[in-house]
Amino acid sequence: MADIINNQKSDLSRFNDDYTAKYGFHDPVDYFHKGARGINHEVVEMISRMKKEPRWMTDRRHEALDIFLSKPTPDWGNTKLLGEIDYDNIYYFMKPIERQQDSWDDVPDYIKKTFDRLGIPEAEKRFLGGVSAQYESEVVYHSMQEDLKKQGIIFLDMDSGLREHPEIVEKYFGSVIPSTDNKFAALNTAVWSGGSFIYVPPGIDVRAPLQAYFRINAENMGQFERTLIIVDKGSRVHYIEGCTAPVYSTDSLHSAVVELIALEGAYIRYTTIQNWSRNIYNLVTKRSVAHKNATVEWVDGNLGSRLTMKYPCIQLVGEGARGEILSVAFAGVDQHQDAGAKVIHAASNTSSRITSKSISKDNGRTTYRGLVKIHKNAENCKVSVECDALLIGEQARSDTYPTMEIDNNKVRVEHEARVSKVAEEQLFYLRSRGLTEDEARLLIVNGFMEPFTKELPLEYAVELNRLIALEMEGSIG
Amino acid sequence: MKPTELTYTLPDLAPELLEGPTWLNQRRQSLRETFNSLPLPRRGLQLWRYTDPSRFIVETASHAASVNGKFEAIRTVEQKHVAEGRLVGLVTDINGREIAVHGLDEAAKSGLLVMALSDAAKSHHALIEPHLYSLVNAQTGKFEAMNGALWQDGIFIHVPDGVVVDKPLHLLRQAGGVGSAAFPRLLVVVGKNAEITLIDEYGGGPTDDSAGFAYANGVVEIVADEDSRTRYVALQRLAAGTRFYQTHRARIGRGAHILTIPLAFGGTLSKQNFGVILDGPGAESQMNGLLFGSGRQHLDNHTLHHHASGQTRSNINFKVVLRDRALSAYTGLIHIEKSARGCEAYQENRNLLLNEGTRAETIPELEILNEDVSCSHGATIGPIDPLLVFYLNSRGIPEREAVRMIVSGFVADTLKHVPEDIRERVAAFVDERLGNL
Repeated sequence: MADIINNQKSDLSRFNDDYTAKYGFHDPVDYFHKGARGINHEVVEMISRMKKEPRWMTDRRHEALDIFLSKPTPDWGNTKLLGEIDYDNIYYFMKPIERQQDSWDDVPDYIKKTFDRLGIPEAEKRFLGGVSAQYESEVVYHSMQEDLKKQGIIFLDMDSGLREHPEIVEKYFGSVIPSTDNKFAALNTAVWSGGSFIYVPPGIDVRAPLQAYFRINAENMGQFERTLIIVDKGSRVHYIEGCTAPVYSTDSLHSAVVELIALEGAYIRYTTIQNWSRNIYNLVTKRSVAHKNATVEWVDGNLGSRLTMKYPCIQLVGEGARGEILSVAFAGVDQHQDAGAKVIHAASNTSSRITSKSISKDNGRTTYRGLVKIHKNAENCKVSVECDALLIGEQARSDTYPTMEIDNNKVRVEHEARVSKVAEEQLFYLRSRGLTEDEARLLIVNGFMEPFTKELPLEYAVELNRLIALEMEGSIG
Repeated sequence: MKPTELTYTLPDLAPELLEGPTWLNQRRQSLRETFNSLPLPRRGLQLWRYTDPSRFIVETASHAASVNGKFEAIRTVEQKHVAEGRLVGLVTDINGREIAVHGLDEAAKSGLLVMALSDAAKSHHALIEPHLYSLVNAQTGKFEAMNGALWQDGIFIHVPDGVVVDKPLHLLRQAGGVGSAAFPRLLVVVGKNAEITLIDEYGGGPTDDSAGFAYANGVVEIVADEDSRTRYVALQRLAAGTRFYQTHRARIGRGAHILTIPLAFGGTLSKQNFGVILDGPGAESQMNGLLFGSGRQHLDNHTLHHHASGQTRSNINFKVVLRDRALSAYTGLIHIEKSARGCEAYQENRNLLLNEGTRAETIPELEILNEDVSCSHGATIGPIDPLLVFYLNSRGIPEREAVRMIVSGFVADTLKHVPEDIRERVAAFVDERLGNL
């Protein structure tokens, strides 16, 4: 038996040699172009070996897998949908093309077409700092403009980031979201692939937003991006992530982990518009740390997916730090947007504001699940939370579960929530001005979303308005 | 978080608990089984996030009652009030065992019925069987099943159709001493177009928990028919050595109105759950709560407005004042059913923190299952505004007096809903707790 295994091993290692020379990475078995369904330590080992990762990363993946396997599925939230996830029927790793492209010309045509539809080339021409387009699990195209490089700004896909800057990655990877945090963070740590890695050195204002587009394009394919953004003292960056996906026949799991670190005086804004197809489970862990006088802002739009569970978090650990979370959720037919926001005030004189807007249409369901925690020693903190929900259709549902844990008395905490339908008098007013009921309703919905849309770059705002218009078509029932 | 492992099971029911009619004995037996089969509530869920349920499991079977001087003093005063006609009557309940009714002779002529629940179960079967356990039962939870199996005696009140009781009825409950366990129970049936005001006061218990604690697990069920008007005040001023668990549910019918005033001052650990089910068009519920925690008190309160019918309105205003190292956990749920269209529901929770070391947790929840609603909630947490104190100081008012004035102002709009008969006493509790601040 041992001989057979040894023989196989030597066969495999020969195969590997050839593969490495030809394609530039380890790939012992051919089927790993698409991997096998299901998850175990072999899959994890394979992913890590193919990526030629340092041992510590491999170990972390294995550790995380054990945590994933030992943690139960959350017993809160939409337990019915969570229970339907079949972890054994998911591809945990996939490579669409053999290696990373250096220039736009090398990107295959069929992928380019997809990007054209998303408007990437134009957007880049206009003002983008860099593009990191993700097609299936691996980054296929990545460009970085010369001036970014000159300033010492690192903007890479996460795999390259690990290869080229292992010391930074080792220091910060998992420092904000350890794999013990929750089941899905553990899963991501075990099988992550792709995502963005950004480091901005001290004192640099990155004027143009950095962008990455994500896209899932194979049935039953899991996406496990890992994004790590470190902004050094006094620097500023705006990162934008947006995604759209076509409709598939069976369910697919998307479970990203995003860690942001804003060092003293730094500013990070992270904008996401999520528009996964309506069969996708989007279970994401996003968390940031804001040091002294730093600011972190999450601008978070959830339009797609079947079930989203996402609660962007800001830990205010340094005096004077500030956090802002602005989110919009739209739940249409059969969708459940279980989104929210968390702010932990662990230092004095910190402030935060949460604004949540949600729309439930047809039998869609939105849930706001939030946490505001003020630690015992954090004095003079200010918090304001506002949740607005709009219900359209008799079957629509909205839940609000804000949690406030206040362990210091020198605080000012305010929370407000409102739930209502589109007001008849508003509709009446608009119709009396000659608008059709459809137009009037759309106008009201756009107005409801306006605090969010106005924070988006123009082309995103336009796209969002177009998407909402599409969703609202024929909404009078 | 691991679930608390606690395998305490209720032994066979004592013979004196099975002296009622057969149907009641069967219910008790089945509730005992429910208690034994249900696990402890899960900590992860909002309702139990801040309070350890295992602390409400007591194995002691002692029912030792102690009637202290304070109880006697209040009873004397209230009996005088009955004699003077300020109250319609007084019911005393010692440790959920001894029920005594004072006054009420006049009111009885109108048909108002106030008696021990154990007696009523025998003599008024048609009134009791459909209503007892109709709102708080095996489905409600483990501790509610415990009360349902173990209540010794309770109070039954029936206000027949059209009867208007224009003065408050005072229920004075006395907890036992160290190691005692009480399971007080109240059932109120308010008929069509009837009206009543109840002051349900819980006092007594050991003055500190150094030698152990007294335990009380109470249930209140109020069934209010069409167009009735009910005012229910729950004054919880148990002594510092008491652990208190209480579940209150009221169901109000078409056009009925209910005012609920939870006042939570006492106990070392208290978890009270107040819920109103709005079960007919035009039903309206108003809740004005006040909690004042001091020392190391752990006071956990939940409110529920369940809109089971369309065209119903609810409003909650729950105020919290904390000092020393007290903790308040407030969770409030507004639930609007799919078929309940045209509802309005509002909820407000304000927390005033008087010093460092206090903790306030608040989870105002909304579950809205249809679009045709108007619903909002708000919560604030903060200290006394130093500018207000400064302003009063500048007018020559010393700091302590200024704080007292500001707190009085904060609680004033709750107190104005409290029936006159106990308003002064409630205001005195607030004052007493502001002493030596």
